[in-house]
Amino acid sequence: MFGKFWVVACAASALIAADSIAPLGKYTAAERRHWAFVKRTQPEVPKFSSAAHAAWVKNPVDAFILSRLAKEGLAPSPRAARATLIRRLSFDLTGLPPSPAEVAAFTADKSPGAYERLVDRLLSSPHYGERWGQHWLDLVRFAETDGFEYDTHRKDAWRYRDYVIRAFQNDKPYDRFIAEQLAGDEISPSEDETLIASGFNRLGPLRKNAGNQEVASSRNEVLTEMTNAVGSALLGVTLGCARCHDHKFDPIRHSDYYRIQAYFSGVQFNDAVRASPEEQSQWKSRAEPVEAEILKLRQSTRGKKGDELEAIRAKVEELEGKRPEPLAGLFAVALKPENRDNIHMLARGDFENKGDRVGPRPLGVLLSDDTPELPADAKRPRTELAKWISDAENPLTARVMVNRIWHHHFGRGIVATPNDFGRMGERPSHPELLDYLANEFVRSGFSVKKIHRLILMSNTYQQVSSTPATAIAGEKDPGNRLLWKFSRRRLEAEEIRDAMLAVSGKLDKRAGGPGVIVAIDQGLVNALYKPSQWAVTPDKAEHNRRSVYLIAKRNLHLPFMEVFDAPDLQVSCPRRESSTHAPQALELLNGDTANQLAEAFSERLSAEAGPDPRKQIDLAYRLAAGRQPNAGEARIALEYLKTQRLKELALAVYNLNAFLYVN
Amino acid sequence: MPEHSRITRNRREFISDAFCGFGAVALASMLQQEDLRAGTLNPLAAKPPHMKDKAKAKSMIFLFMAGGPSHIETFDPKPLLNELNGQKRPASFGEAKYQFVDSKSTLLGTKRTFRKYGKSGIEVSDLLPHTAGCVDDIAVVRGCHGDMVVHSAAQYQLFTGRVIPGFPSMGAWTIYGLGSESESLPAYVVMPDPKGALEAGQPMYGNGFLPAVYQPTMFRPGNKPVLNLELPPGVTGAERRKTLDLIRGLNEANMAPDDTEFAARINSYDLAFKMQSEAPAVFDLSTEPQDTLDMYGIGAAPTDDYGRRCLLARRLIEKGVRFVCPVSGGGPGNMQWDAHENIEENHLRMAAQTDKPIAALLKDLKRRGLLDTTLVLWGGEFGRSPESQGSKGRDHHNLGFTMWLAGGGIKGGQVVGGTDEIGLRAVNEPCHFRDVHTTVLHQLGLNQDALSFMHQGRKERLTEVHGRVISQLV
Repeated sequence: MFGKFWVVACAASALIAADSIAPLGKYTAAERRHWAFVKRTQPEVPKFSSAAHAAWVKNPVDAFILSRLAKEGLAPSPRAARATLIRRLSFDLTGLPPSPAEVAAFTADKSPGAYERLVDRLLSSPHYGERWGQHWLDLVRFAETDGFEYDTHRKDAWRYRDYVIRAFQNDKPYDRFIAEQLAGDEISPSEDETLIASGFNRLGPLRKNAGNQEVASSRNEVLTEMTNAVGSALLGVTLGCARCHDHKFDPIRHSDYYRIQAYFSGVQFNDAVRASPEEQSQWKSRAEPVEAEILKLRQSTRGKKGDELEAIRAKVEELEGKRPEPLAGLFAVALKPENRDNIHMLARGDFENKGDRVGPRPLGVLLSDDTPELPADAKRPRTELAKWISDAENPLTARVMVNRIWHHHFGRGIVATPNDFGRMGERPSHPELLDYLANEFVRSGFSVKKIHRLILMSNTYQQVSSTPATAIAGEKDPGNRLLWKFSRRRLEAEEIRDAMLAVSGKLDKRAGGPGVIVAIDQGLVNALYKPSQWAVTPDKAEHNRRSVYLIAKRNLHLPFMEVFDAPDLQVSCPRRESSTHAPQALELLNGDTANQLAEAFSERLSAEAGPDPRKQIDLAYRLAAGRQPNAGEARIALEYLKTQRLKELALAVYNLNAFLYVN
Repeated sequence: MPEHSRITRNRREFISDAFCGFGAVALASMLQQEDLRAGTLNPLAAKPPHMKDKAKAKSMIFLFMAGGPSHIETFDPKPLLNELNGQKRPASFGEAKYQFVDSKSTLLGTKRTFRKYGKSGIEVSDLLPHTAGCVDDIAVVRGCHGDMVVHSAAQYQLFTGRVIPGFPSMGAWTIYGLGSESESLPAYVVMPDPKGALEAGQPMYGNGFLPAVYQPTMFRPGNKPVLNLELPPGVTGAERRKTLDLIRGLNEANMAPDDTEFAARINSYDLAFKMQSEAPAVFDLSTEPQDTLDMYGIGAAPTDDYGRRCLLARRLIEKGVRFVCPVSGGGPGNMQWDAHENIEENHLRMAAQTDKPIAALLKDLKRRGLLDTTLVLWGGEFGRSPESQGSKGRDHHNLGFTMWLAGGGIKGGQVVGGTDEIGLRAVNEPCHFRDVHTTVLHQLGLNQDALSFMHQGRKERLTEVHGRVISQLV
């Protein structure tokens, strides 16, 4: 039983004085029996007597999938063509289309192991981290601004984004990845990398207001954001539901919520300055006169009223705008034991409605009932939490992460609700497969790339997407939950823009650095509370960088991204919507981005294919769709080019399903 | 895919459409609007309300008075407050938290005068003489209250029911529930004040976790309000038509005949084309008769801007747009109703900009028979403090304030609820934002529980915790 781990690990911990402490609570056997809360099984890989079945099974993933298909009387689909596979793999792993040369090389490579080599090449591509980092950034609602009314820019938050990209790129073991994010400052307080990772704890929106400060309320909001992230991003349970009362459906008590929160009681924001002594002294000499003047003005308000007072306020505000840009720093947190809050259960989540006090303790349903709280003065409380979360025996963590990986490869998780493994979430379509993958994940030392390989090498992943539904498939599994074919998907917002840049030849592949601000409609900028925040990046070449490097601003989303279902950056997004509506067509037909890149695309076509329209059309399809046009397509496009401009053809290609979808 | 946007087109309908070009579709849809809509692939297709018998309103206009208009200066006369002018708030009224006002502040009487208007005899201040003329159509809700005293959080609560960003707004929920009656116009339109942004910013109006199809269309100032509706420079209509036909041809050249998702994409291009060709005429106010322009105050200095947006709101509603939000106030606080410094100067100015256009909108909707099916809501994220800030201003105030509703089946000519004798606290039939939301949904025929979306393990709703229909209004 998993609970025993914790008992052993904490046996030495002393109980805190118990008078004001909430009781630990009990969990019934029925509550503990929910599939996601029980220990992982060691499922046996199905074996097949039929030779045809056995031949299709390339690895255990296939065995689990085929066993279920066979049970339902369904058959898997044939393997997709090589050109389809390389395009599918390229977008899945790097978010970019394959070049025509890469397609040609892979199609021609008939030697054994060609597919495997392709998988390995793409897994080690520098663009792999950019693509998979984005999935994680969605999950932790990464943004480079505070949100709310001032939407102040977090000038160093980009370092966290780069950290995430690096972590995926280097296949940082997932247990280490969790520990660094939750507790990087505790683990290694002088190391930049771990401090940057600890910025995870302050990624949520942050409300600031002028006037009377509600210190207690604001602190409560900060702690709430930290706590909710543990539930949604790391545990995959709806912990946030227990903020106001016991969870209505899952065995997560009101006290569990605040016990998780108690791990964060001493966490404070820490903008660790990283500037040379000279830079610091220069900065000081510029900042001090301004600060002194502000202070003087503030002191002069005493006894002043009305207009006079307002005039001084206005002057202070003006001066605040003249403060020099803060020095380079790290967006991190620190444990300040002297500032520890007492964590109370808050009725209805209201900070003024304090109930019993609680101390740090993981989710009760996963512990034995007598597991004590961690002492309030624990030296490294979040390190303890990270240990518990990433413990090999934790029934949630590995399942949740392998499910996320599966979700991004197939468009749907084995559990279709990746942030909710509770009773209101969907049950796994293939529970044994989920456990098998989770076991492999743990066994591999939490290697994400190992799981990718396992999935990508399967025949399940390599099926065609175009299989028409047979009568039986249409009736039993119209949504393709059981994977009798591959599910086609629309490119995500970033992929569309990045692919447009790539096929036009304009993509700037530089990695890392502060979020790039591109020019957008001035009306949108004027609608910002402080339009000056939208300071367009002067180097125009940077405007063509990958979307993951564009600024993530909470109060101004790029219309291009927004219209294609990019997340809103306010709450954790485990699964993007894929909607279809007219404003998408308007964006791709009339928008500046589409038209500028269509111009560039047509120039490239002329330059590389020469004046022959047949060759231009051929190249356009090979670049944008990863294949040659079929006879019908070639004929229609050729007819069009007899009277129309190549730029408009290039624009049309961006609007094609052949470009916007992965088969 | 959520139930509301599930594609429901059969093979026959798809094939009949697949052989038509853009022109044919446009023509056919003009002639057989209803027929086409029944089989449309548009996720915004009109949907029946949950409660057909209760649905009175088909569309909604939210006249958002950003920054927080004072109830004390508009719809909530407080003679005792004038008597206590300059004094400390008597302890019997209880405590209040403010953003700026502190315990040293004193009560501030109003310089406005109130009188009774209409058959109903409802008291309205001299700040809003035109609106007062419509008071028999208006239900004044004097006991409104919210939970937050700062702009951003209060604005989120007013629009989304939550004090934090990330949740869908009233408008997004409305079109999620009802779809759109117009194929050539956006379903949910926000017309921000061109003077600038509001504290809660873009997320306040947004679709939150609902699919992007339910996002608002933010109108820009001027006669080209919709981004990307104009052809790019150097491209003619004829050329673009050919390109659209090319896109259709190429898409269909590599597509299974029963592929409903791709058919939906093709359909979205038809809709985009319709929008592009038909919407600009709706935005063009020059076709309106002069007396209508005059009625809205268009061409006269203070009213021109808001008058244009109110008239445009009527034109959009007339064409089947579901939800329109013309915003009054934007940019620095004093360019909103946020009268910290001088309540007189601020409110006289803001009222002069909006009073006449709002009254014109109500009258115009009424004479066209649109008021019966159009719910109009007026108000801000809070009211203003009975205490003075500085000597002449008023601070934010969320404990009791006024909103009003008209049309869409609302029983006008009545006052519901009330604040205490100094306008501090809603004491008589207090009405939380969630009750306003519940009432709005009810008039639209939407059930607050049925209008939900599964998100992060919760069936999220506009009202979060159960709200109540304000029974006197309906």
